[in-house]
Amino acid sequence: MRCHKVPSASVRAEKNRCARNCFLCPLCRNTLSVVPSDPPEPEDPRLSPIATSTIGEPPFFLYCNFCRWDSADVGIVFDKPTGLAVQLQKYEDSAPDTLEFERLKEHFEQFIRVSNAVASNHPTGSNHMNSITAAASSVLSRDIPGVAKYSGRKSKSDKHNNRDEVPPYRSRFEAGANGILGQGGGENDVSFLATLEDISEVQTLEQRSISKFSDNSVTVPSDLRPLRIPLHSKKSKRCPSCRHILIKPEQKAQSVKYKIKLVAVNYLPAITVTLPSFAPPAPTLDKLKRSLTAKQNPEDEKTGPFQMQAGKTYPFHIALTNPLYDLITVKLSVQRTAQPTGKRPAFAVSLPAAAFPIAAYAEAWEYEDDDEMFDNETDDIDELLEMRGLSPPEREVRAKTRNKTVGVLEKKANTTVIGGEVVIGKDGRGDVKFNMLVSYTYRSDDIGSSEVEGGASKTPKALALETKTFSFYTVVDLGVIVPKDESGSNI
Amino acid sequence: MPPIKDKFTIHSKAVVCQDVDLKGDITIGAGTVVHPKATILAIGPIVIGQNCIVEESAIIVNRRKEIMRIGDDNLFEIGCRVESPSIGNANTISTRARLHHTVRLTSYCVVGPGCLVAPIQDETFEDFTVVYGASSEYRLWSGRGKVQEMDLRRKHAEYLREMLPKFNRLRRGDNA
Repeated sequence: MRCHKVPSASVRAEKNRCARNCFLCPLCRNTLSVVPSDPPEPEDPRLSPIATSTIGEPPFFLYCNFCRWDSADVGIVFDKPTGLAVQLQKYEDSAPDTLEFERLKEHFEQFIRVSNAVASNHPTGSNHMNSITAAASSVLSRDIPGVAKYSGRKSKSDKHNNRDEVPPYRSRFEAGANGILGQGGGENDVSFLATLEDISEVQTLEQRSISKFSDNSVTVPSDLRPLRIPLHSKKSKRCPSCRHILIKPEQKAQSVKYKIKLVAVNYLPAITVTLPSFAPPAPTLDKLKRSLTAKQNPEDEKTGPFQMQAGKTYPFHIALTNPLYDLITVKLSVQRTAQPTGKRPAFAVSLPAAAFPIAAYAEAWEYEDDDEMFDNETDDIDELLEMRGLSPPEREVRAKTRNKTVGVLEKKANTTVIGGEVVIGKDGRGDVKFNMLVSYTYRSDDIGSSEVEGGASKTPKALALETKTFSFYTVVDLGVIVPKDESGSNI
Repeated sequence: MPPIKDKFTIHSKAVVCQDVDLKGDITIGAGTVVHPKATILAIGPIVIGQNCIVEESAIIVNRRKEIMRIGDDNLFEIGCRVESPSIGNANTISTRARLHHTVRLTSYCVVGPGCLVAPIQDETFEDFTVVYGASSEYRLWSGRGKVQEMDLRRKHAEYLREMLPKFNRLRRGDNA
């Protein structure tokens, strides 16, 4: 029921929480609904005909549809189903925590006023120094009795002498007196906890931390009060380098739409990784199209935890789909991860090193003749890439299989499928996961469409006048390595 | 194991869609609604009472020899799986909840969405038990609002009895 625009003045007054009828369940944090009481129960509910209508009879109470908590449990009922927050206000305002907080605020108010005046005399102060942080920092830098003074600080404090004078604060109750007043934390709670048998008899830490204005004992769940729903705000985001608005939500509170929504996924090639030896068919165009329309995150290419055996070689396919209306040229490279000295990498990945094109995206595809399959440019394979970590027999295996698996495998519409290969070391362990740098270049017709800046991972480089190059890192997760000795039986 | 012999006894006022998977000795009471794609597997007999609602892809299984009795006004939501040997009245098994054969429900129990109830030892939930949350916590409901909920349940079932036959073929009992 987050449904209203709240003026900022009342946001502050209401402590950032909803002042209407919206409440959270203190047990499970679901939204509570206001329900009328049951009509008097018929003698045999099963024989009674369907009641004509349930009349909204007072008293009303708050009810959680999820865990069936209701506010009548803690003695909160209402005569009318509107303006509940006002009716509950008295519980909150009389809570000792609230009173104590008010008192603290009062205590520091004049101090803040003074430091405000000082701050206005020194306009050079950084902009994150508001009155409250200023007050806090000066309190923090106060001398602690019995602790040796920091020599460099003295002269500074002389300058702001008036800011450092805070009269000692006296709380409403002495700490530890709560137990005597029956407010938890005292003997009663100790004896309660001593006889505790079931963990569900005490409030969880989460419940305690969100119910700041709870009263009395904070240990028994039956004492929890409904919580006013925290207010939420909608934020728009700007590009850190050019201040262009990237996303801007609609003003209306109910709407979940965006007025402006420039997300990277619309500009980055969508990447899908498959292992042909595990997944039955290679990804079809249909699938890829669907993944494109579904705005699949290119980072989200994990297709499942494939189990790979140590010491084997697996080919894999990377399908890249171009979302742009221009042809792009893509270059993939594997980031070499720093290995601890003396340790061989668990696996080695080879990818075609040459750049390859991906056709532009078009609304309606004319399925003419598909581009002829690319010749595998095996010469361009980065021989050195990860070879160092492999033993001679592994290298041989790789040399044999490489010709068939590594390179551009298929080009269809705006999708190009690339073959890669992963060689898993004899004693490899863990996840087969590697960082891949994807850089792509395209020639844009209009200069105006350069809204691609944004994501922190992208590093725009102005190459030529019209060509643009972008690059980003992505993590490719191929699967897990099953140690050979453990899985040897079921090969 | 001998093959399961099918014997369906469906009350004339029950609404059981054609596209349900029934197997074994099953008795369905008056006013009960079984949506298409539901599965009821009776290795031992299953007796379902009146005005229950079994939604799509719900699975009710009795693996034991004894009769599995399900009372009146129970709601089995989409994709739940129930193997409890005995279920009372007016219980709600929410979407994708799972109940093992070790648990018995009495009345007015609520098993929340996605909850797994699989006690190691046999357990009987007392009236108004509520299971909720990701870790399937238990608590007792005060019972306030149950009349309204039952009212809603009745209307729900009545609406389904009216609407489902318009769009689905119905299944009749053996002797109807």
